[in-house]
Amino acid sequence: MADWSPTGAPFSISDRASASAQLERAYRRLVGFYPRSFRRESTEEIIAVLLATAREDQRRPSVMEAADLLRGALRMRLGLSGCPRTVLYAVRLMYLGALAQFGVLVILLMNWSGIEAAARGAATRSLGPHPAPAAVKYLYANIGATVGAELTADVVMTLLAIAGWALLAWANGRGLPYGRPLAIIACAAYAAVTAAGLGKGDMTYAPALAIASCVVVAVGIATVVLLVMRQSWPYYSRHVVAR
Amino acid sequence: MQEATFLILTALADGTQHGYGIISEVADISAGRVRLRAGTLYTALDRLRADGLIDVDREEIVDNRLRRYYRLSPEGGRRLAAEAARLQANARAAMKRLNPALGVI
Repeated sequence: MADWSPTGAPFSISDRASASAQLERAYRRLVGFYPRSFRRESTEEIIAVLLATAREDQRRPSVMEAADLLRGALRMRLGLSGCPRTVLYAVRLMYLGALAQFGVLVILLMNWSGIEAAARGAATRSLGPHPAPAAVKYLYANIGATVGAELTADVVMTLLAIAGWALLAWANGRGLPYGRPLAIIACAAYAAVTAAGLGKGDMTYAPALAIASCVVVAVGIATVVLLVMRQSWPYYSRHVVAR
Repeated sequence: MQEATFLILTALADGTQHGYGIISEVADISAGRVRLRAGTLYTALDRLRADGLIDVDREEIVDNRLRRYYRLSPEGGRRLAAEAARLQANARAAMKRLNPALGVI
């Protein structure tokens, strides 16, 4: 039996016990990254499996083991593990929605001066071919503030939308009962606002913005469809029963 | 269906298994090629339970350690059978085209 410690002395039972206790503590720290619901139900089970697959004299988790556990914890925390595929795809789409919304924000901020100039130009043209200088002056003094206020409101709305997507992804990933109604309401509201904006011609100054908004609406509709599909139902009712 | 999922369901096809049992069965079935790590296994088990393909059969305490045994659900059995048939048909088609003289079993 080549059962020797590095110092040359045979492994005593207490050496082995302390190595195993050290390893178990390290595994427990890693499992600590999992969501509480998983830890409550499965900590002892996964620790037993980890110790059973460990090498005889192993004192700490290998890099691969640690990476595997951290990845598992992240997937569960993002709500991407315990749910049916339909909900899984919906949650991924929601995170994508947050990202797309972030794109809208960037476009908005990058085109700020362009949108202002375009609005000013359109307003000037509306005064006719030979506007009175006083009228132009009055217009310029006011339109900057008006357009600025509207754009600021847009930015705030977009920030809220990013937070909204993230919240919906979080709630639905966990199968919280209010996740789905909230998603449906949010999607309908966003579609209505976008449609109203398009109707008013708000977005004609920035076609990219209009396209991005339509993409967001399409993503929202796809999400809602996935969430109300038959395969998604057990995930939500499970939580109702469990709590 | 991912290979790990297929192998886990196969490991449970002829009886209940606990976590470590599934890992060794999967290694056996795949001739040592697939060695599931604990994190991967529990992510998969979590999803399979949510999808209703496996159920918890019972829990036991062995050497002060919790063992939870899993079993294939009827739906899991149907899905595994369908996937196995699909893979078999594909494999058969590939073999047939590679060597027509072999014929089809």
